[in-house]
Amino acid sequence: MVGEELVQLLTPEGERVSHPEYESSLSGEEILSFYRDMVIVRRICNEATSLQRQGQLALWAPVQGQEAAQIGAGRALAPSDFTFPSYREHGIAWTRGVPPADMLRVFRATSTGGWDPQKYRHNVPTVVLGNQALHAVGYAMGVQRDGAEEAVMTFFGDGASSQGDVLESFVWAASFNAPVVYILQNNQWAISEPSSLQAKIPLYHRAHGFGFPGIRVDGNDVLAMYEVTRRALESARVGGGPTLIEAYTYRMGAHTTSDDPTRYRIDAEVEMWKHRDPVERTKRLLTREYKVKKAAFETIGEEAEAVALQLRADVLAMDAPDPISMFDYAYAAEHPLIEEGRREMIELGISGGPA
Amino acid sequence: MSESVFLLPDVGEGLVEAEIVAWKVAVGDTVRLNQPLVDIETAKAVVELPSPYAGVVSQLHGGVGDTIEVGQPLITFDASEPAGPSLELAAPAPASTPAPERSAVLVGYGVANEDAVPARRHRRRDTSAPTPATGPAPLSARAVRSTPPVRLYAKQHGLDIGTLVGTGRDGLVTRADVEAALGGLVGPSARPAPVNSTSRFVGRELAPWDSGPAEERIPVKGLLKSMAESMVQSAFSAPHAVVWLRVDATRSVELLDSLRARESMQGLRLSPLTIVALALCDAARHYPGLNSSFDEAGGQVVVRRRVNLGIAADTPRGLIVPNVKGADRLGLVEMTRAINELVDRARTNATSPAEMAGTTLTITNVGPFGVDAAMPILPPGTGAILAVGQLGPAPWVVENQVVVRQVVELAMAFDHRQIDGAMASRVIAHVGRFLSDPAAAIIAG
Amino acid sequence: MTSTTMTMARALNEGLRRAMERDKRVLLMGEDIGKLGGVFRITDGLQKDFGEDRVIDAPLAESAIVGTAVGLAVRGYRTVVEIQFDGFVYPAFDQIVSQVAKLHTRTDGVYTMGLVIRLPFQGGIGAIEHHSESPEAYFAHTAGLRVVSCSTPNDAYWMIQQSIEHDDPIIFCEPKSRYWEKGEVDLDNPPRGLFEAEVRRAGTDVTLIAWGSQVKTALRAAEAAETEGVSAEVIDARTLAPFDFGPMVASLEKTGRLVVVQESPKTASLGSEIVAELSERCFYSLRAPGMRVSGYHVPYPPSRIEDAYRPSVDRVLDAIDRVMGFES
Repeated sequence: MVGEELVQLLTPEGERVSHPEYESSLSGEEILSFYRDMVIVRRICNEATSLQRQGQLALWAPVQGQEAAQIGAGRALAPSDFTFPSYREHGIAWTRGVPPADMLRVFRATSTGGWDPQKYRHNVPTVVLGNQALHAVGYAMGVQRDGAEEAVMTFFGDGASSQGDVLESFVWAASFNAPVVYILQNNQWAISEPSSLQAKIPLYHRAHGFGFPGIRVDGNDVLAMYEVTRRALESARVGGGPTLIEAYTYRMGAHTTSDDPTRYRIDAEVEMWKHRDPVERTKRLLTREYKVKKAAFETIGEEAEAVALQLRADVLAMDAPDPISMFDYAYAAEHPLIEEGRREMIELGISGGPA
Repeated sequence: MSESVFLLPDVGEGLVEAEIVAWKVAVGDTVRLNQPLVDIETAKAVVELPSPYAGVVSQLHGGVGDTIEVGQPLITFDASEPAGPSLELAAPAPASTPAPERSAVLVGYGVANEDAVPARRHRRRDTSAPTPATGPAPLSARAVRSTPPVRLYAKQHGLDIGTLVGTGRDGLVTRADVEAALGGLVGPSARPAPVNSTSRFVGRELAPWDSGPAEERIPVKGLLKSMAESMVQSAFSAPHAVVWLRVDATRSVELLDSLRARESMQGLRLSPLTIVALALCDAARHYPGLNSSFDEAGGQVVVRRRVNLGIAADTPRGLIVPNVKGADRLGLVEMTRAINELVDRARTNATSPAEMAGTTLTITNVGPFGVDAAMPILPPGTGAILAVGQLGPAPWVVENQVVVRQVVELAMAFDHRQIDGAMASRVIAHVGRFLSDPAAAIIAG
Repeated sequence: MTSTTMTMARALNEGLRRAMERDKRVLLMGEDIGKLGGVFRITDGLQKDFGEDRVIDAPLAESAIVGTAVGLAVRGYRTVVEIQFDGFVYPAFDQIVSQVAKLHTRTDGVYTMGLVIRLPFQGGIGAIEHHSESPEAYFAHTAGLRVVSCSTPNDAYWMIQQSIEHDDPIIFCEPKSRYWEKGEVDLDNPPRGLFEAEVRRAGTDVTLIAWGSQVKTALRAAEAAETEGVSAEVIDARTLAPFDFGPMVASLEKTGRLVVVQESPKTASLGSEIVAELSERCFYSLRAPGMRVSGYHVPYPPSRIEDAYRPSVDRVLDAIDRVMGFES
């Protein structure tokens, strides 16, 4: 699977490799902080899975295995950039500063959004596959009209790459030279369908047909993800137009907690990908090249535990909102049916009234 | 030392139960938060459950191979070692209402269980809002067909619409039914009862008044044509013929007296003329041919199933004949009111040309002039005119005894081109019977 | 008062121009709306005057037109989207109901989806397949959207401006069969609020409610009814979601009889909604059940026979006969 067309700067064994066009610009300290992000995101994911198994979440979409793809891409973003995720971008949300508990609001079904998207410059999750690709292009067209040096990043998977909205957005991004960076996380599986069902060519080739560059990156290599994404963002900010980055990675867990991947994929494949684990290879690099001590890794582990405990406390404290809150933002302006609904809910005693 | 019980959760797998595959802890073990406790197998997959508590295991609620239902105890801890805020397992619940029980489905918390007998959970606080009436509606009201405004009208006047007999299509209670009932005159049906019998006219069966066409045209040919032609030939202008009848109208007088005493009838000028008008309309409804005219130019006899009842009135300007439109549809109160108004307007010269157009039947009340009878002349375009003589006490034979009764003489002239003597006789007899027992005639039709 | 006579098409053009002059963040986007000025010439000359950045010729992908307008809204732009024909809106349906309608609420009000989706709708222009549909009920049904329709040049001029200024997403239904009809446009003062119905003709016996192209049909039927002795009141609904029931209730309490005239099929239509709601609100005033004169329950027919499909004066009069015929 790893052809010569794949940009890789760090092998699964944690050894650096050179690439004719890209080299890592990161210091040891920066790589350690990337590692920290990946560990914490994985721990958040595991805690969320436990909470779901304990009946505290309606659903969870695990991100395990894709940490490098997301932390590498997310850390390349500037604060002024804007991101349009799908629903598995917990790592991106973490790099944008979204509180972990807010990431779980949708999954606890106490909210349909979860956070203030303008505050974190990170859109709320989009569940309808591919819709967000068009939002990103439209936002980018606004950036162009504002004359701002900002880039827009959007995320989708190998499954959503078949959606009309994604392909339409390719047309638009190319036609308008929109400052968009697409992160296509090819995690090999769209629930039970292999990526070979979505495309008979490498997915990043699709960009070429639409007239903009497409690059395949080892999505489990956080160094490569960072460098490729950084360059694509820089290009986009100065009028270089869109780039499609295919992060070649693997969904180690189930599609969601409602899925049973043992029904459609073999253990050997999972085992193979375990050897390519993004966190472990970064740890090996840090240990060997930067002599990071065991105590430092333990400190990060403890920090991740603390984040998980706090997350658990925050989630358990999350009550369902007062039912009347459903009327709050259905419309921006006054609406008679909203007033009617509120009134009925109060009169029937379903709600005590607006907070 | 507190006890914590971990109930088998709905893990969103579509399971209602799960089988214990392997315990990873035993009684007496000290367990960390999120430590794997057990592998369970649902219908879909083997799932490892992490511990929601930190503590010492005090009881396992099943052995390997046992099936546990969702929501039933799986494992109990002596939670003597609180592990941060995670110890208290808060159930997700809405702020104000307990969540209904849910059944597992493929994704999400599951669907609310709606199999149980539903119980009201919320009641409107504002008692001024409309609420269903307490207790069942009277049986009589249930089957009544009417329109919303008529129901409201009846309700506003304290009338139980269920007590009314509807005279509208398929028994619909109409506004007129309610008005008549409110008039309090003659019980349930103040409107003429429907007539559904046929009658012979110009050699054929005429369709009933209530179901026949509003206007019917009969070709003048055959016997009819020869009768018409011979009548025209035999008469120099109009082929008039007349029938007479003396009637015991005592009961009409008594009815009028009793009605005059009623409070609801105050302000109405009740006179025998009203009863005669009702009687003549009723006769027309039984013998539609009475309400006809001879259209010589068109070669047709025109039968109309709507009586515009002309009332010959003596006015300062002379004789005029305004008519009550649709008189066949009126009840006693409406008829009285209509005739009163008609006469008043005629006497003050306020009658409009429209009120005089379209007469189909006529009454001329010659009684006030002190005469017993008259042979009236037909207004053009009509088939019959009824003259009413003076009404007063006269000797009458009842059961072979001569007694004093209120007697009136009727004379009806008719156009013999289409109405023959036999039919005219039946008509005047019908009017007579009506006057001799008006209450029964009005109620029973 | 400055007023001038113009067609509805021209009035929309002038309204768009005025909105674009007033607010630099108003953009237009759609297929063929630039040099061509749109297939109905509604945007004629606007690209020339406002530039290609503000009047954007879109690739032929309706989902993308609406989806990128969503992104532009997140960025603070107000995009007026032109869907070329009613029958082409369905590829964008997902974006409209899944995103446009929901994002304000999903972001707790952070996003303002102040975009306008212009939809030339209804038939009557002798068009071919997919060009004559009345999909307004699909959108009226979706919470988070608002739906309005103009029936006169004056309303077109003002309602398009009011829609652009409004903070909620608006499906703006333009009766394409009335684009070329002329009327007086008051350039100084709007006739009324965007979400208000208007009594177009006073009457006492029956209330006719219509919108878009059918307002004229209803008015013509009312004239015909007058000669038959029936006095019909005609209400132009103007706002379809939410409905402005106030004037409808006032009218029905007077007349007691209701006929709704609409081009769409009857089942689950806006006419059904009006009849249901007014039955609830005016129960004791009703002298007959509310009637709907609608398109038949068939896919829009070949336009050579569309006159038999669309409500006609005769079909409206027939409905009037029926409501007048109930005993009351």
